[in-house]
Amino acid sequence: MSDRIFGGIGLALAVLFAFQATLIEAPFISDAVGPSVFPIIIAMIMGLSSLYFLFKPDPEPAWPQFGQLAEIGLAAAVMFAYAQLLPVLGFVIATMFAAGYLAWRLGSKPIEAALVGIGTAVGIYAVFHLVLGLSLARGPLGF
Amino acid sequence: MEMLASLGDGFAVALTFQNIGLALLGCFLGTIMGALPGLGPSNGVAILIPLAFTLGLGATPALILLTSVYYGAMYGGRISSILLNIPGDEPAMMTCLDGYPMAKKGQAGEALALSGIASFVGAFFATWGLAFLAPQLVKVALLFGPAEYFALFVLAFATLGGISSTNQAKSAFAAALGLGLAMIGVDTQTGVPRFTFGEVHLYDGIDFLVAIVGLFALSEVFIFLEHRGSAKDATTEEKIRVGRIVPPWSMVKSCIPTMGRTSILGFIAGVLPGAGASLGSFISYSMEKRLVDKDGTFGKGDPRGVAAPEAGNNAAAGGALVPMLALGVPGSGTTAVLLAVLLALNITPGPLLFTQNPDVVWGLIAALFIGNFMLLALNIPMVGLFTRVLMVPPRILMPIVAMISFVGIYGISGSTFDLTVMILFGIGGWALRKLDVPLVPVILGTLLGNEMEVNMRRAVNIADGDYTVLASSWLTILLWTIAIVGFVVPMIAGKLLKRRMALAKAAGDEADLVD
Amino acid sequence: MIRKVTLVPMLAVGLLAGGIAPAVAFEPEKTECIAPANPGGGWDFTCRQFGKVAQDLGLIPGTMQVVNLSGGGGGVAFAEVVNKRKDSNDLVVAASTATATRLAQNAYPGNTADQVRWLGSVGADYGVIAVAADSEIETLPQLMEQIKADPRSVSFGGGSAVGGWDHLKILLTADKAGIEDVRTVKYIAFAGGGEAITQLLAGSLQAYTGDLSEAKGFVDSGDIKVIAVLSPERLEGEFSKFPTAKEQGIEAVGANWRGFYAPGGMSEDAYDYWSKTIADLYASDEWQQVMETNGLAPLGMTGDEFQTYVQASITEIADLSREIGLIQ
Repeated sequence: MSDRIFGGIGLALAVLFAFQATLIEAPFISDAVGPSVFPIIIAMIMGLSSLYFLFKPDPEPAWPQFGQLAEIGLAAAVMFAYAQLLPVLGFVIATMFAAGYLAWRLGSKPIEAALVGIGTAVGIYAVFHLVLGLSLARGPLGF
Repeated sequence: MEMLASLGDGFAVALTFQNIGLALLGCFLGTIMGALPGLGPSNGVAILIPLAFTLGLGATPALILLTSVYYGAMYGGRISSILLNIPGDEPAMMTCLDGYPMAKKGQAGEALALSGIASFVGAFFATWGLAFLAPQLVKVALLFGPAEYFALFVLAFATLGGISSTNQAKSAFAAALGLGLAMIGVDTQTGVPRFTFGEVHLYDGIDFLVAIVGLFALSEVFIFLEHRGSAKDATTEEKIRVGRIVPPWSMVKSCIPTMGRTSILGFIAGVLPGAGASLGSFISYSMEKRLVDKDGTFGKGDPRGVAAPEAGNNAAAGGALVPMLALGVPGSGTTAVLLAVLLALNITPGPLLFTQNPDVVWGLIAALFIGNFMLLALNIPMVGLFTRVLMVPPRILMPIVAMISFVGIYGISGSTFDLTVMILFGIGGWALRKLDVPLVPVILGTLLGNEMEVNMRRAVNIADGDYTVLASSWLTILLWTIAIVGFVVPMIAGKLLKRRMALAKAAGDEADLVD
Repeated sequence: MIRKVTLVPMLAVGLLAGGIAPAVAFEPEKTECIAPANPGGGWDFTCRQFGKVAQDLGLIPGTMQVVNLSGGGGGVAFAEVVNKRKDSNDLVVAASTATATRLAQNAYPGNTADQVRWLGSVGADYGVIAVAADSEIETLPQLMEQIKADPRSVSFGGGSAVGGWDHLKILLTADKAGIEDVRTVKYIAFAGGGEAITQLLAGSLQAYTGDLSEAKGFVDSGDIKVIAVLSPERLEGEFSKFPTAKEQGIEAVGANWRGFYAPGGMSEDAYDYWSKTIADLYASDEWQQVMETNGLAPLGMTGDEFQTYVQASITEIADLSREIGLIQ
């Protein structure tokens, strides 16, 4: 069943992609091929392969239970929040929280998770910023 | 003879205390940056340019430092591929396929040592090729017009069926997905934005580093989260045994022919501008699988599957220096950065570089030899140290990996938009892995998509809209033939054969029943 | 040929510095140059050379950080400077005729040239038209005649996208040579001049349009021959052997200036500091050496004069693009 759903999504994606390709505005001076031809070829390959596993699905993969799915969703949400808050909180603080959360959810005890968070943030800051000189996000505290 | 004398002069330039120190520093930093996901060779070199200028280095020492970083990063990428199933940089992607299974079998040390040796062989061969064949090799690059490049990329995608044993339709889908992602951005031929939905951040397209780190590293984090607390948790808790550190001689010996072939193949792929190290390691792996994988052990921890891409991508790294030095055309992201460094040092690469600045060229080549030996000497004893990473439990290791991935991307681009896209890739990568869709074709599509399209359009435009030009020269016909006869036909024929055998078997079973 | 244009603003700054203000009105803490393209291109070159020579001469404190912010033909960097960095005093951005071209064609959505401040130029790269060394074509009119007879027989290659500066130069030349519909001239876009020249040597293309600095190495090695330089008169030194388009009866001139712009909200003191730095740099022997090795022709302007020059150049390109039908 999963493969059939996936095939359906793939097919929809291919159609959408081909449709978007036809919408590309005509350039001032077009070349003999034009900007839409290659994307349409890709959409065709995508569509055909989607059709294949729509009709000949593989055995069902083991999907996680709702609990684990929520776990993944929450981790992704934390990561999105991390990306947004990075320039606001600064690298060290934001990373401390994000790394600590992940460590906790991956099975560390709270104290260990906090230590992993602090260690990761400070360690990466030292290596990437102080040694390699990359500019990481500066927070209100200057790091 | 004259060349050997020039090379001797080169060694005289390179063998000073300062230069050896710089090479050692470069090799060390390069290895580390190569191993960290998100920081590949091109960013590694770019990051250290200010250091070279701050130290006030002259042309030759600066180049020695930066090319050592380049070679070092090519070595380092394999470490995280083998230990974590996360490629440290894009050419090391193929090393995951057999390196990680070897590590799981308790052969992490052997895989690391063997890949180190393979890297050395590839780079050693390529450096000789660079020293003695560069002027002639430029002529090879000149054989490749737009139509030939297009045929080469078609060949690369035709070999895809060979690399993963799963459903071929899923490989094709993954490749199309990657190619589709590559189409996002401003069309270089006409300047028209495509699939950008008015988002300026997408005008430049999706950086393949964002894609690779998201697809491989973050999806790995999600997989660990999913398996925690379930019955499968046992697999994560189980300590991976490290095993021996020095590979048995028989294992090395069995890989010698592989290393030889893939060094040549990778080097040629590197010489072609636009193909580069990723194509080198990819074609090396898939060709070698087609050639020697009789028992279907590739993808399950075959040492040759580790040696092939590593010899291939390190040979390609050396090969990519040929067009950069002799034509001034960068064949890869890293050589583009090195080219910029040369220009900033007032050295103009091009057809006259070898005659006008022989000290720079031969000093550089000598430095590459020295760096390569240093990397071997650094890497083999450090195998034991690297494998310690496996002792760290995932609940501590994975958050660190995730955060390093974020820093690698953010530190270079400074863009939270890129981070968001990367997380989306992570979720997508997790779903694709659940559905048994291989990730390598996605990356390959993103990497090569633009070049593939652009070369097709250039060829057809030059021929005034005549598509037959894509298979008209002897070289294009040769490449198409290899693609079709070597890869597409066996794929279909193999499937038919399997089906017929299954049918025959079923018929036989039925006959048994009837009796 | 040499334009002694740096003098006036320098004098003004000198008077100001000597008269009222203290010796240093503004000194940046750290300096940054945005190259709106990937490493290896012209903008990147401008930033890195500027940073290196300025540091060697002690014109700026410390090392200049070069940031590559590519995308949208410079549009991403332009938008970044206009939206997020508009008050920065430590930042300059590499620019060239390509920047002006895109502004003229409204190719940076929602951005215009007056949102930033134009600092100064540090040289110019004149356009060249070249063919392979073994080509039968010897002069520009010969090439143009062949295009008139059969536009499909000649494919030009260049390092910019369709409608970009390398393309415009050949359209301009074709226009001046009396070709009716210049859109029939075949142009193939490459990722850079070097790639286009490689394909010229490989025989895929018949002619190359680009800048002198990109072609220099291949001219020296004898692989390609320059049939026209798009300069008002013959260049100096070793380049004097190349005929101009003008002397061959085709009135096409195309200079790719290289220079810098600064954020629109930069303070006056900082603007003066950077203008002066660019003027000092341009006047130095070290910079003249850089220009000579890289085939750059003299073109040095700063301050208001440069501001006016850029505006004029944008108007000119817009007119040309409209004339040829590139924009409405």
